[in-house]
Amino acid sequence: MSMKEGYKRVRRMTPAMRIIHWVNVFSMIVAVATGLYIAAPYYQTFMADDAVDKYVMAWNRWGHFMVAIIFDVTSIIIAYLFFFSRFEKPWRKVIPTWKNMKEFFEVFLNLVTLNRRKKFDSTHSDSFNSVYFLIFHLLLGWMLLTGLQMYVHGLASGESSIGAWWPWMLHAVTDWTQVASSWMVGSTATGANIMDVRISHHLTMWLVIVWVVFHIYYQVWRTIFWKEGDISIVIGGDKFVKTDKEA
Amino acid sequence: MSVDKEESVKKLFTAESAKVDTNKGDAYYNELYISCQKRIEDLRKLAPLNNRPDFTESIEDQGLERRDFLKWASATTAMLMLPASFTPLVADAAVLMNRVPVIWVELSDCAGNSEALLRSDGPKIDEIVLDIISLEFHETLQAASGHQAEKQMNEAMEHFKGKYLLFVEGAVPLGMNGNYGTIGATGETFVDHLHRAAEGAAAVVAVGSCATYGGIPAAAPNPTDSVGVMDVVKGKPIINIPACPANPSNMVGVILHFVLTGTIPELDSLLRPKFAFGYRIHDNCERRAHFDAGEYVEEWGDEGAKNNFCLYKVGCKGPMTFNNCSIIRYNEGVNWPIGVGRGCIGCSEPDFWDKYAYERPMANANIKAPTGGVEKTVDEFGLGLLTAAGVGIAIHAAASAVAGKKEADEKEDGGEY
Ligand code: HEM
Ligand code: SF4
Ligand code: SF4
Repeated sequence: MSMKEGYKRVRRMTPAMRIIHWVNVFSMIVAVATGLYIAAPYYQTFMADDAVDKYVMAWNRWGHFMVAIIFDVTSIIIAYLFFFSRFEKPWRKVIPTWKNMKEFFEVFLNLVTLNRRKKFDSTHSDSFNSVYFLIFHLLLGWMLLTGLQMYVHGLASGESSIGAWWPWMLHAVTDWTQVASSWMVGSTATGANIMDVRISHHLTMWLVIVWVVFHIYYQVWRTIFWKEGDISIVIGGDKFVKTDKEA
Repeated sequence: MSVDKEESVKKLFTAESAKVDTNKGDAYYNELYISCQKRIEDLRKLAPLNNRPDFTESIEDQGLERRDFLKWASATTAMLMLPASFTPLVADAAVLMNRVPVIWVELSDCAGNSEALLRSDGPKIDEIVLDIISLEFHETLQAASGHQAEKQMNEAMEHFKGKYLLFVEGAVPLGMNGNYGTIGATGETFVDHLHRAAEGAAAVVAVGSCATYGGIPAAAPNPTDSVGVMDVVKGKPIINIPACPANPSNMVGVILHFVLTGTIPELDSLLRPKFAFGYRIHDNCERRAHFDAGEYVEEWGDEGAKNNFCLYKVGCKGPMTFNNCSIIRYNEGVNWPIGVGRGCIGCSEPDFWDKYAYERPMANANIKAPTGGVEKTVDEFGLGLLTAAGVGIAIHAAASAVAGKKEADEKEDGGEY
């Protein structure tokens, strides 16, 4: 492959990581589109059809839950890779060591000085990006927990098509989100309720959208200003760094 | 704000899942049957309290037949999640309800639950049963007042110490040392009144959402610092029967359960009997097919409303509400809110006044911040945040572009391309 002189290729994302990334992108779009429909059905069905022939809300919920399950599974993989990936060790970048904090700050300065100052190694995933991704995964984790909490109440009988362990486990793992959500939303009553979980789920969606908007902007910005082809990390898996910097 | 977070976290974690166990196995029910039978025998030996009327007579007085009564008994047995073989026991227990003393106190309330207990379009068995319970004290219903009423209550509490069921209607205001609400000639505060009445009770039953969670008196900004009974009374069995008003069938259910078994029914994490609050409105709603189909009432009185479409878009909160009115309905099964074409406002849930009772979907609602009173919608906030992020990015991008161009120009000038 031809490459600009003076640059070398660095591998940044494995095929598995890239697949997960694009699965997440797809899931996110579907989750937002169907989630907003669930929140307030924004298109109408035709009155003339019989109820049995259309299944509009049900399909939206089906889609929402399907991508939710995909999110669940990819989250487990990502959580695993976060700690045990042999390729990269993201957790090492988010612990607040002196070195990491300095790097975090330098990357931030690079962004606000509009690339005038660039005093860090951009070959590998930096501390700023690692923290930023961690925030995303925390937000997504919250979506999962609150979503599953709302979901499990649809299985009121305590049974499900895959057995009673599933609702039992969901209760065990997510019931605390009611209390946590009530605390976040604020409450004057005794006792937590599922409405707070729903409000929190809805609000967190906006935080996720804001996250995505900045994420896309920042990756494009890096590509343009650093001139290291950062955007191709997520497509081909590689970026390019000037070799003289290494020397 | 005296929500005891730690307490409620503990409750959530120690509560069994919301699973409604409708079949606990033959061995369990056989044993229960025998113990219930024994209890009923014991109760039968007691005389009716205060010459309460005999149940069979009241039924006949009202022009109802024994067949109606048996029908009611079998429906109630099902409601309590007992096998059909328990029907005769439930019927016996109903007859013996005049052996269990009940004291009913009212705090910060509208007497709506008392109304629910008394009124319906005609005398129905639930109401008759409630008529014959030995209501030893009920401020609103009794003739006595002032010192006389106080004396009557003290006597009842003394006489039935450790045996009576205490029904509480209304929230407990804690602000200003409890002085937002006082009762009786001595000006006793509601809190003290409640403590005193709970002292000798066998169990405390909070009826209605106010007694359960603070309800409407506790709605934002909760000026009187109102809370529910379970925040005040400790160390007693507490049963919550929320809803606005509480369904008389559920009141009867709880008393019957107590008469029959001598114990309180199985409760969920909010201390609500599972037989009544183990169901989500939305899962037992007759309009659910329209929900799934995406057929919604868009506006009151439109074509969809005439066709009984789902009320989700006019703000039905059935998906987030646990209650059995979608199954047993009100007024002996005559109808219920969604049946008459208006959405559920989540009246049996904590914070319902602030967070459920606006008749719009959550996405279009002005949810009051419970502590502040600032009106803002979740989406407006979200969109605002997004706009702020967008503006920030636009500024950064523009600045970057300018800076980048300058740099390029400089480089060109310097000729070091
Ligand atoms: C980041 C991805 C997600 C987004 C953007 C999202 C968005 C939304 C939105 C906007 C709503 C409507 C809430 C309202 O009524 O205002 C919703 C509802 C819901 N979401 Fe999500 N959600 C996401 C992930 C999940 C996950 C992972 C689950 C897990 C199962 C989930 C389960 C649910 C459930 C159960 C509901 C309620 C639907 C119903 O009761 O019919 N969501 N979601
Ligand atoms: S009317 Fe309410 S409870 Fe019934 S299906 Fe619609 S949203 Fe659910
Ligand atoms: S439909 Fe909802 S608001 Fe109406 S009584 Fe039942 S639980 Fe309460």
